[in-house]
Amino acid sequence: MAGGFHNKNLFPLLSEEGHRLLQWLHEHKYAPHYTHPGCDRLTAEGLEKVRAFEAELDSPQQSRRNGEMPDWLKEHVETCYRDVPFYRRSGSAPSNFTSIPTTNRRDLSREPWAFVPDSQPLNDLVIYQTSGTTGHPLDVLTHPTPLAMYLPLLRTALAMHGVKLEGHCGRVSIILVCFQKSTYTYASISPVLNQAGLVKINLNPADWRDISHMAKFLDACDPEIYTGDPISFAELSRLPLQTRPKAIVSTAMTLLPGRRHRLEQHFGCPVIDIYSMNETGPIAVWLREAHVVLQKRLYIEVLDRDGFSCPSGVHGEVTVTGGFNPFLPLLKYRTGDWARLAFHGTQVLLEGLEGRPPVIFRGRRGQPINNIDVSTVLKPLLLVQYSLHQNRDDSLHLRVHGRIQDQNRLRDIIISLFGEGQRLFVEEVDSLPAAGKILQYSRDDE
Amino acid sequence: MKMEGPQLEILTRRVAECPVDFLAEPRIGAAGSIPVAAIVSDLIRDLGGDPLTLRQSTGFSKGDAKIGRNHLRLVLITCWLFHDPWFLNRKECANLLYLFLTGPLTDLSATTAAEKFVSEPDRREELVRFCLKELDLRPAGETIAQAQDRLATLSTAERRRVIRAAREAEERARAIREAMVRRAADEAAAKASRE
Repeated sequence: MAGGFHNKNLFPLLSEEGHRLLQWLHEHKYAPHYTHPGCDRLTAEGLEKVRAFEAELDSPQQSRRNGEMPDWLKEHVETCYRDVPFYRRSGSAPSNFTSIPTTNRRDLSREPWAFVPDSQPLNDLVIYQTSGTTGHPLDVLTHPTPLAMYLPLLRTALAMHGVKLEGHCGRVSIILVCFQKSTYTYASISPVLNQAGLVKINLNPADWRDISHMAKFLDACDPEIYTGDPISFAELSRLPLQTRPKAIVSTAMTLLPGRRHRLEQHFGCPVIDIYSMNETGPIAVWLREAHVVLQKRLYIEVLDRDGFSCPSGVHGEVTVTGGFNPFLPLLKYRTGDWARLAFHGTQVLLEGLEGRPPVIFRGRRGQPINNIDVSTVLKPLLLVQYSLHQNRDDSLHLRVHGRIQDQNRLRDIIISLFGEGQRLFVEEVDSLPAAGKILQYSRDDE
Repeated sequence: MKMEGPQLEILTRRVAECPVDFLAEPRIGAAGSIPVAAIVSDLIRDLGGDPLTLRQSTGFSKGDAKIGRNHLRLVLITCWLFHDPWFLNRKECANLLYLFLTGPLTDLSATTAAEKFVSEPDRREELVRFCLKELDLRPAGETIAQAQDRLATLSTAERRRVIRAAREAEERARAIREAMVRRAADEAAAKASRE
């Protein structure tokens, strides 16, 4: 799909050189079938904010030491209680931070509009629909400016590993690799990266004119880095690539040490795990033995089930306050992920982070099925919460919290994904097991 | 409102001077510090009644802090009000108090932030008159008609404000939902990594 680069609304800051690169990315003879024209929407004012955000990331004085509350926290709490309908409902801001009730994905999933501050203009609203790896599908409201702020965070994370994301005009900086049945794909140009390219591709053969084009196109792009998840990198490593990136950045799912080692061996570069959520953007980067928190205006706590702060060295639920998305100011938001909080100098660390393990299911013909595809096909059913387990004999056990409106449709959807003859047991349950967090997808052999 | 109660001004002044302990955060789960059930229990005992049962106490400490906090804050302020010597000396309202705090007072707390019943003169007066009415009392020196009329005026003004605020909030929510529907058809801006 081409043509988006002629639209100034989609690329307000596109330069001549950027335009040429975008055209090249669309017209390259080995380019994939993009499902989306690509857009950036970042304005000059937005770019200024991203630069200020980047400068703040580089300033050491705002880091947090053990037990300290950051200066911005009090004002953030007061603003939330004054300006955000969801928080305002419970009265005025508590004088003590520990008295603020926690929020969770279910709150946000139910009414995302109630988290938008009254003072926030709605122009250029962007919606990200997430598949819900912890069981609650979610619409995240955001904006091109915070989305562009992912880049300075990525730069900071890479710099911690000695990798410099340069972002030269006229070259491709980042390729986001997916391996799914279907997903949005696009080519874009980033003013934050000095008009360098940012491309999202899907390694599903259906997205390409010929399967051999994948490696040829990626070699032609020769990106500085690849981003993606462990499943897509496993697929990427099967391609006969001639070029090598400076680094590979893994997000969205847990990157197991063995898999990281194999990828590092294969690509000959650092493989960097970033803990990131749609609600917050990139939170922390793996460095040596723990995840180091990246954001300066994200206050992190680790809480037990009752909301009490966990003592040092004790696992609890990662709970965040703040963030850089003006459509979603967070107050004690339970992430569903578990870790221990630690401090090293001015660095905040998450140790033993239990994220979302990737699961590859097996279809009736033996074909691999990414857990993201399962989330995607089930999304229209608006299930409150569910878990899917594949037994050793490949039969599936789907457990759904509460009543299922249309069980026949649900069965049809799953069987069309896995293949005719797939055995499926569907169970309605009052509650799903919560051992730490809900393990939404699992297989007997994983 | 059949019986004549205390002077209105004495009670509104008492509310205005509500000590910080009664304005502190009620304990709900891990949040807050003030054990509301204990405060209520002490008050009922001081008014000549039996302390709360365990089951009754639970209602003042458990639940969703996002929903229950404002109610419990208003319960604390109301407990301070009922500690006035006029009520303590008569020891007549202990039996009604639990039902009042868990019933009608919940409705009052649903629309207005608890601290406004201390900081705003009209809300102070509304709270005092509301409490008296629920105990079948009226301010000293007022007729039933006067007391009913004044409470209705205060409540109506507040109700109008609440309705206006609710309407504005709903309009804003609708505008966001409509923008979401429009934007869902568009494509999102590029993102460098996924979640």
